Amino acid sequence: MSQRPSYAVGTGLFIVLGFTALGYLATQTTSVANTSRGPSYTIEAHFANIGQLKERAPVKVAGVRIGQVQSIVLDPGKETADVKLSIDKRYDKIPEDSVATIFTSGLLGDQYVGIQYGNSTKIVADGSTLGLTRPAQQLEEMLGKFFGAGGAADNLSGSYTVKARFTNVGALSAGAPVKMAGVAIGSVQSVRADPVKLDAEVVLAIDKKYSQIPDDSAAAVFTSGLIGTQYVAIQPGGSPDMLKSGDELVLTQSALQLEDLIGKFLVNGSPSDKKPADNASASNPPAGKH
Amino acid sequence: MTDSVRAKPDDSAIVRVRGLTTVLNGKTIFDALDLDIPRGKVTAIMGPSGTGKTTLLKHITGQMRGQAGDVSVDGQNVQALTREQLFELRERIGYLFQNSALLTDFDVFENVAFPLRQHTELPEVLIRNIVLTKLQAVGLRGAARLMPTELSGGMARRVALARAIVFDPMLILYDEPFVGLDPIALNQVLKLIRTLNQTLGITSVLVAHELAAVQQVADHVYLIANGKVVAHGDPKTIASDGSPWTRQFFGGEADGPVPFQYPAGDYATSLGFKGGA
Amino acid sequence: MNAQLARDNIVIRSLSQIGDCALFLLQILAAIPRSLKHSRETIRQLWFVGAMSLIIIMVCGLFVGMVLGLQLYDVLSIFGGTSATGTVVAIAIYRELGPVVTALLFAGRAGTSVTAEIGLMRATDQIAAMEMMAVDPIAYVAVPRFLAGVVAMPLLCCVFCALGIFGGHLVGVSWLGIDNGTFWSNMTATVELVKDVINGVLWKSVVFGAVVSLIAVFQGYTTPPTSEGVAYATTRTVVASSIAILALDFVLTAFLM
Repeated sequence: MSQRPSYAVGTGLFIVLGFTALGYLATQTTSVANTSRGPSYTIEAHFANIGQLKERAPVKVAGVRIGQVQSIVLDPGKETADVKLSIDKRYDKIPEDSVATIFTSGLLGDQYVGIQYGNSTKIVADGSTLGLTRPAQQLEEMLGKFFGAGGAADNLSGSYTVKARFTNVGALSAGAPVKMAGVAIGSVQSVRADPVKLDAEVVLAIDKKYSQIPDDSAAAVFTSGLIGTQYVAIQPGGSPDMLKSGDELVLTQSALQLEDLIGKFLVNGSPSDKKPADNASASNPPAGKH
Repeated sequence: MTDSVRAKPDDSAIVRVRGLTTVLNGKTIFDALDLDIPRGKVTAIMGPSGTGKTTLLKHITGQMRGQAGDVSVDGQNVQALTREQLFELRERIGYLFQNSALLTDFDVFENVAFPLRQHTELPEVLIRNIVLTKLQAVGLRGAARLMPTELSGGMARRVALARAIVFDPMLILYDEPFVGLDPIALNQVLKLIRTLNQTLGITSVLVAHELAAVQQVADHVYLIANGKVVAHGDPKTIASDGSPWTRQFFGGEADGPVPFQYPAGDYATSLGFKGGA
Repeated sequence: MNAQLARDNIVIRSLSQIGDCALFLLQILAAIPRSLKHSRETIRQLWFVGAMSLIIIMVCGLFVGMVLGLQLYDVLSIFGGTSATGTVVAIAIYRELGPVVTALLFAGRAGTSVTAEIGLMRATDQIAAMEMMAVDPIAYVAVPRFLAGVVAMPLLCCVFCALGIFGGHLVGVSWLGIDNGTFWSNMTATVELVKDVINGVLWKSVVFGAVVSLIAVFQGYTTPPTSEGVAYATTRTVVASSIAILALDFVLTAFLM
């Protein structure tokens, strides 16, 4: 009849509930959920560059998780990173000439080790080393090929203006940098729609220092990085005559939508997705998680 | 003991206060107070409000310490005791708070059982028997499962009394036990004090204002004012003792040794009639 | 002398409060061994400050998770990263929102009631009565409430976080259509046990629980035993707790990062 048992029971329930929640958080929502619990064996791989690969990152075949990265060590005196992979015992039929590659899951995701099976009949044994590896492709490098590198605009000390017409400026706005070879040489002075020609007229203010720009150069609206702002890139032409203030750039390339770009990128296949010449047994999509 | 030199040859005193001097916030509460509380008797401590009657009780229980002098209870000098020794002493003293001070979290039964549960490992059956005995003594056995908020002031005080006697103390201190009680409840409490004293021989100390009630139970009365004992003696005769203090206190006069005016600067100066003074 | 200084200057007054509070903490810590025999009272307080706060914690956790899911989905969809919703919900809740919001709710729900309860116990002489019954009120009143807060906060925070994840999942997966597997696999790939759950959820909430309960008990214990004093102390508990939680959150984050 006394109140004490009900307190005790309620408090006990509360404590159990709290610890259940803690256990749930700790095991189901953290990387602990990814650690394999079954028996496993270890193989090694040496990479020239591991990029952002971390311990406990997944190891995948055909996009399916078969194990995790156990340790990453840089051997003193060697230039390659020694990566130990802990592979689930069930997947013990990995051919000896398989290729280990470091991929990025998705565009923004973490990196993982993808294994592309070879043709050899010999099987990788516990503790042995995968001979063929492919280092991490830096996302920046890949994108750099599309966009050119970004940089901060210089302070303008005396500039001249040229005009350029684009059918689509994307999200370009006044103040955006103007770059040549990735280096800022000026800024966008104004962006306005031409009511007659029905396109966008962009006035570029270019630093006086850069007066040696051929007048047949092309202007393009690019995006710096994946989620960055847009800028105007000048691609120099071959004309002997130089741009003067008030000139108009005739050759222009409008803004590409990021979606289009990435679409192309993914459909065409990234450099990292190309298989080694002699391997044709397994394919591994670059975005294994999707 | 050092104070035995100055002590009166009254060995029956359970509480002995010698030369107690207490200054609180710059105000002298006790000024070399001497006082004896005889064992096995009911002693009333009376006096105008603010003379430190409750403070005296706190000195007896060691909740407060004076700047000078000794307070000894049952031969122990309270002011020199460690916290553990004080706690041991307090287990033998019952204290009835003016507002009962029942623990509002617990019902009546648990309130009375509280000291037992805290200090003993008695089996539940025994605790139950002791608690019900004490509640029966104060006439509230039927209210064992009521919560303190459901009790009237008089009932709460009787429960607090049951709690105070649960360890059969040698001494009970009653802090204003009659305040705010209707005549019936007042007489119930009076009866209890007398019964406890007569049947169990528990020494009782009352702090009270009500002369009529005190005359019914007390064997001895101390009148304290200005930090000193100004009169003491038999309750029946003390009122006619003739000193200005007793005359004012028991006669209820507005002005006298206890001034109507709280001490203040010169009135005319305060009003600005003596400019520049 | 101290009291005169305290009246003069709000800075000195605050400093002396902090100093008194620290001394009170020492008293509490010293009394913990003595309060072991009051373990039943500790459990009772765990019920009051912990179990009784569950409902509000659960409801708030659910809604925080849901609103996070909604907001993050909106922002992440700008650059096609909606699959990271689960990750960001989890990290935001574990590292900051979980401990901080739980602690603020805890201060409002449990801290105030502890302050008011102790203040009223003092006003009605219950504390003095315990002294007289030879029961140490620090060990019997202050320590159980303090310990209950220290134990209850991390548990409440875990419940809050779990409900927050559930709320994020509810909005992200059930409502906005993120793939269920993507939601969980991205979360488990990024959230780390030590950095996010142990450091973020557990350590922070233990510290917050200790601070909130200390402030609540201290305010209740030192307030003038009048109805005005109790009301004022209750307000101060919320104000001081909130400031302490947010300031300590910064310090802890800097240390645990």
